[in-house]
Amino acid sequence: MNELQIGLAAIVLMLLLIQTGMHVAVALFLLSFVGVWLMKDNMTIAGKLVAISAQHSMQRYEFGVLPLFVVMGLIVSSTGMGRDTFDVAGQIFRRMRGGLGMATVSANAIFAAINGTTIASASVFTKIAVPELIRHGYTKRFSVGVVAGSSVLGMLIPPSLLLIIFGVVSETSIGALFTAGIIPGILLSAAFIGVIMVMGRFFPSTVTTSQANHELQEYNDSLTTMAAKISPIIILILIVLGGIYGGVITPVEAGGVGALASLIIALLKRKLTLRMFWNVLVETGMVTGSIAFLLIAAHLYANMLALSGLPDFISQQMEAHELSFAASLVIYLIIIILLGTILDSASIILILVPLMLPVVEALEIHTAWFGIVTIIAVEIGLLTPPLGIACFVIKTNLDDDSISLGDIFIGAAPFALTMLLVLVIVVIEPWFALALL
Amino acid sequence: MVDSNQEDNSPGPADGSGETSFLHRLTSLQSGLGTIGIFILIVLINADVFGRFLFNAPLTGVPEVVSLTIVGIVYLQISHAIRQDRFIRSDMFIGRMLEKRPRVAHLLLCFHHITGAVLVGVVFYFIYPKFIEAFKTDEYIGSFGYFTAPIWPVGLVILIGCGTSVIQFALIAARDLKMAFAKGSDDE
Repeated sequence: MNELQIGLAAIVLMLLLIQTGMHVAVALFLLSFVGVWLMKDNMTIAGKLVAISAQHSMQRYEFGVLPLFVVMGLIVSSTGMGRDTFDVAGQIFRRMRGGLGMATVSANAIFAAINGTTIASASVFTKIAVPELIRHGYTKRFSVGVVAGSSVLGMLIPPSLLLIIFGVVSETSIGALFTAGIIPGILLSAAFIGVIMVMGRFFPSTVTTSQANHELQEYNDSLTTMAAKISPIIILILIVLGGIYGGVITPVEAGGVGALASLIIALLKRKLTLRMFWNVLVETGMVTGSIAFLLIAAHLYANMLALSGLPDFISQQMEAHELSFAASLVIYLIIIILLGTILDSASIILILVPLMLPVVEALEIHTAWFGIVTIIAVEIGLLTPPLGIACFVIKTNLDDDSISLGDIFIGAAPFALTMLLVLVIVVIEPWFALALL
Repeated sequence: MVDSNQEDNSPGPADGSGETSFLHRLTSLQSGLGTIGIFILIVLINADVFGRFLFNAPLTGVPEVVSLTIVGIVYLQISHAIRQDRFIRSDMFIGRMLEKRPRVAHLLLCFHHITGAVLVGVVFYFIYPKFIEAFKTDEYIGSFGYFTAPIWPVGLVILIGCGTSVIQFALIAARDLKMAFAKGSDDE
């Protein structure tokens, strides 16, 4: 076997082993290690690469953003700030048809600006928004669908776990990636609100049941109450945005200050015990540890790929078949969406990005834009069966057994289609990702 | 993710033998230290930021210390994350197999966990000489005369984390094997 064939065989075996339930990191690590060993016919070289990946791929200042933003997101989730945001948004949209649905999208968008994972967004809003939506006469499918759909904003609007992973894998500045996510995130939120308007107008039976109660009587806080409810979250957003966009402090520092600020807010609201804070830190350690192990394996895998010459081979094939970059990008995005049915988001990025990145870099295309496009495509997989993680999280957090997983997937479908539309827009018009850079 | 798994409700080795409960204490201790590391990270970064803006007195070497602390946090958490089964994996196929063909499924899991043990062992084996070298030559990070931090403690933490993880993976593999041949799973 030549090096190219070893590289290809490693990828195929990797996908197979992952499907049989091997830890993704272990599968990546195993085949990369054995792959390099076979290509170089020398275990010491493979071992040296292992040592570099194990220590130096992690020994990076920028990776500090991960635990810090996870701490902040977890504290915010456990202190009722999600509910406050939802209340305020509900009041703003209360006179519109489908208003509570739009409120869910807006509250999720705001919440996403201080929280980096779709899983946290989905679990918090399943508990806050779904019962409220159903109580106000929205159909069950719409209620869970809108929560599933808008929870993907968590990973697109900075801070975002997936963008951090992409940044580490592609060695793109995490600050640039975060900045690039802002406008596409707002665009996607606006598109979701637009879809709800269209559904409410032309297919009202998909949104509300006949005894719908459009007047949201109980949403009548005074302006002062609204301001009091929303101000803590605004402060946190300003810290995060100031850190990544203002350039005053680094993203890592923004994470650190944000974590401290959320801690102080939680203490002032008397919502956080010492025990809870310890649990938040322990949970953060778990998330950091499991993602770091993946990244270590991914670092080794990227080295293996580079040695196999597979990325160069792909470039050559593109030229030989006179494929334009646009055509290859479409193929790449379709592969991502298809892989989304069998793999989780992080693994897709770790496996595919190192293959495609050399092509992108050779064409001097901005990797931040490439990152945003990749993330949106990956996130569509969060909403589609059989492996739509966002839908699973909602099912787990739901107290209502009458709503099946199938209902959630059907309810989320209009939002998955909307994401596809926004993906096409950002692909055609990179301005949306690059305008703020 | 928010409130799951905060208590140790993992299906980890629970046969109560002295050996495994010692391991349990060891992984919990490491995870606790890693957890404190995260807290230190928050304190350090804020001290630097506020020192810089309020008192014009930044803390030197924070980026270096942060990067080393990260490695420490990661390796201190790994064995505990293995115990709690927190590494990302796809469980659709294996879940179905556990219902239909429990013995095959447990053997497969056993294979996966042995592979995990071997690979973490590989990391240990190749990091060890680097640790010895860093220790002997006083290798450091930072710029000399301004701020330096020694690298060897991080190597030591990696070795400890990997060593514990090898044992942890091996124990889980042994449990899989036991379950594969336990009574009641041969109902194929």
